Amino acid sequence: MNVFIREMKANRKSLIIWSIGVFLMVASSMGKYAALSASGQSINDLLGQMPNSLKAIMGLGTFDLSTVIGYYGVLFIYLVVMATIHAAMLGANIISKEERDKTAEFLLVKPISRNKIITSKLSATLVNILVLNLVTFVSSIVMVQKYSNGESVIGDITVLMIGMFMLQLIFLFIGTAIAAISKNPKTATSLSTGILLITFILSVAIDINSRIENLKYLTPFKYYEAKNLLLDGGFDAVYVILSAVIIPVLFSTTYVFYRKRDLNV
Amino acid sequence: MNMFLHELKAYRKFTIIWTLSLVGIIVLFLSMFPSFSQEAEEFKKLMEGFPEAVRIAFGLAVENIGSIIGYYSYVFLYISLVGAIQAMSLGTSIVSKEVREKTADFLLTKPVTRTQIMTSKLLAALTSLVITNLFFITVATTMAFLVETKEYSTKIFLMISLTLFFLQLIFLALGIIVSVVVTKIKSVLPISLGTVFTFFIVSAVASIIGDDALRYITPFEYFDLAYIVQNSSYETSFIIAAIGFIAAAITASYFIYSKKDIHAV
Repeated sequence: MNVFIREMKANRKSLIIWSIGVFLMVASSMGKYAALSASGQSINDLLGQMPNSLKAIMGLGTFDLSTVIGYYGVLFIYLVVMATIHAAMLGANIISKEERDKTAEFLLVKPISRNKIITSKLSATLVNILVLNLVTFVSSIVMVQKYSNGESVIGDITVLMIGMFMLQLIFLFIGTAIAAISKNPKTATSLSTGILLITFILSVAIDINSRIENLKYLTPFKYYEAKNLLLDGGFDAVYVILSAVIIPVLFSTTYVFYRKRDLNV
Repeated sequence: MNMFLHELKAYRKFTIIWTLSLVGIIVLFLSMFPSFSQEAEEFKKLMEGFPEAVRIAFGLAVENIGSIIGYYSYVFLYISLVGAIQAMSLGTSIVSKEVREKTADFLLTKPVTRTQIMTSKLLAALTSLVITNLFFITVATTMAFLVETKEYSTKIFLMISLTLFFLQLIFLALGIIVSVVVTKIKSVLPISLGTVFTFFIVSAVASIIGDDALRYITPFEYFDLAYIVQNSSYETSFIIAAIGFIAAAITASYFIYSKKDIHAV
């Protein structure tokens, strides 16, 4: 319990900064929407006829930009990038910081098993990403509802936020697994972020060229994409099952490797 | 001279990894150009049917996007992102690593002035970036030559590629001033990633709003690729802003580093 409380306190400042950042992101983008919605319908007709790769270039996807929720769908990818960076760095840091800050010996001579340590740390990270997700959820609801002219957006946003949470979980456990495995604490964070960047660039590449669409199983960003969640009616079973496999595997990897590894004190 | 060579060797793996990443990304994106330009051609024919006003409202972006220059301008956004992360990490870590890795008292008791230390590190970082950019420009130009069958302006292509170098210089200067001001940096990656992504998101916001004042805040907007393509030159006010910032940051870094109390433990 103490480890949990301590980790929560240690990550408090970072969580606050990230939450403010996410809120500002949602607020400023929706503020822009007010300006955009004034510019009319003809843009939509044009967009309807564009080939998808061209739209990917414009960053527009298949959304109806004149509706609030369509616009939010475009914004979603940026929010996801922010949330996943937060999750990956949080996961990698929370495990590797003991060795980096030379506090590993202190912690491990306490009468607490390594499993319990990992459990407490992971619980703290789960609370953190949940908080960030909720902050995003609430600010989105507030801001989107403001411009939505009455239609209810809560259902759509909830679906998107669940998708974002799954992505956060995936990257969180990628971070913790890498940190649990690697002997050098410094490489853990860079490796997790590297993987994140690569999968992100891959998802962009897939948008541009649909021929490499088969690679979409390699990049988590494609599992929960705004356009799939909003337009094609919800979660795709394949991706949910894939996540349900990836997350427990990484989760148990973290435990197993941390238990077995010789820690550098 | 010793310090310069030592830093170069120390960052050899770093430079190689980042150069390979940048080269990999541009090869990936440019290899997708042929199929992309085909789709764009079909769309341009469609565009003929639309009223003049709508076409202008959409901007030259669509006219150009089918060409190699237009496509390159788009994918260059991601190149800039990766390049900025490299430069920022390099700038932030090269000075702070003495304190982080406890080599500060060893270095500072040698018969070299702090100015000399700073100069060597700065030159080493610069050289690392120059090497990266040389490889990148070579590969990019070769790839463009291979995939584009029509005529295009190699000068404009080169000008766009050079903006990577300028952007990296700005982030290098930013990284150095940050590392010199902050007393002890435990981990470079969160700072550099956070800063770069913040500026990146601000630039995404600025480009949609079209607010000119915001452009001065974020280095990503200093080199507007559409302007370069149209006018075959850089925007003077931003060049001045960039040079001004770099000069001020570097000078301040020298000054602060000379007076700073360095923690040897």
